[in-house]
Amino acid sequence: MAERVFAAKLQGVGFEDVWVGGHRPSGIDEASHYPLFTEEVIELMRKTLPPGRHDHVATGVVVKARKPRTHGRTKRTT
Amino acid sequence: MAKDLMFQDEIKEAVRDAYAGISTGAGETVARWLYSDEELAEVPTGAVAWALGVGNPVRYALLQPGEDVLDVGSGGGIDSILAARRVGPQGSVIGLDILEEMCERGRRHATEAGVNGWTQFRRGEMEDIPLPDGSIDVVISNGVMNLSARKSRALAEIYRVLRPGGRVSMADLTVEGELPPEIANDQSAWAG
Repeated sequence: MAERVFAAKLQGVGFEDVWVGGHRPSGIDEASHYPLFTEEVIELMRKTLPPGRHDHVATGVVVKARKPRTHGRTKRTT
Repeated sequence: MAKDLMFQDEIKEAVRDAYAGISTGAGETVARWLYSDEELAEVPTGAVAWALGVGNPVRYALLQPGEDVLDVGSGGGIDSILAARRVGPQGSVIGLDILEEMCERGRRHATEAGVNGWTQFRRGEMEDIPLPDGSIDVVISNGVMNLSARKSRALAEIYRVLRPGGRVSMADLTVEGELPPEIANDQSAWAG
């Protein structure tokens, strides 16, 4: 999910004051520490992604937002 | 429509299977990238070993004593325990996880940490949170929202359980641009 999509989804359900920070690049070597990534998919990343992207496949972020104090809209989604 | 729902169910099943199949978290090496020495000293080593997050949502949440916190996708409980330290026994923490075995780990680690009196772990899904409307002050999550095939639904549920003025602090991975389809469609990559 792209950062702007994450923020838009929060706003879409009614959140306000959306803030995104704490940006931290996350690369293949970091991913290899997580047991959820199989050796096969780590190898697949190394083969299919350009070397310049190996250290920055994704970006870790922290997203903050607030529910309005006054009656805000609540949109149920399916 | 039916096909989309099947796809959603397949994703949910793949994520659940992936997490059910692991015997440890990302471990201390990853935890040291995300948490300070002081923060890691506040949690049992078992919770550190089971860390699977991608950031530090508690640090940004600015939790206050007495607040009620929901940790969506609580896993081994590291963020729930850090949150419990900050809200204290006047507050409460609920860890929500799709896997009962993760809830059990969270309970064990919270007991070791001595915060079990105001920290509980419940099995449940982020798209159907088993809590009443307006019952939570702060929702935290760590590397969890990307696992949902119904992200807007999950966010709407988080919105529903928050009190007016309530807030979220969610750590996650974002990707700009396209990943090669072999990676984007790989179950392991989705779960990771």
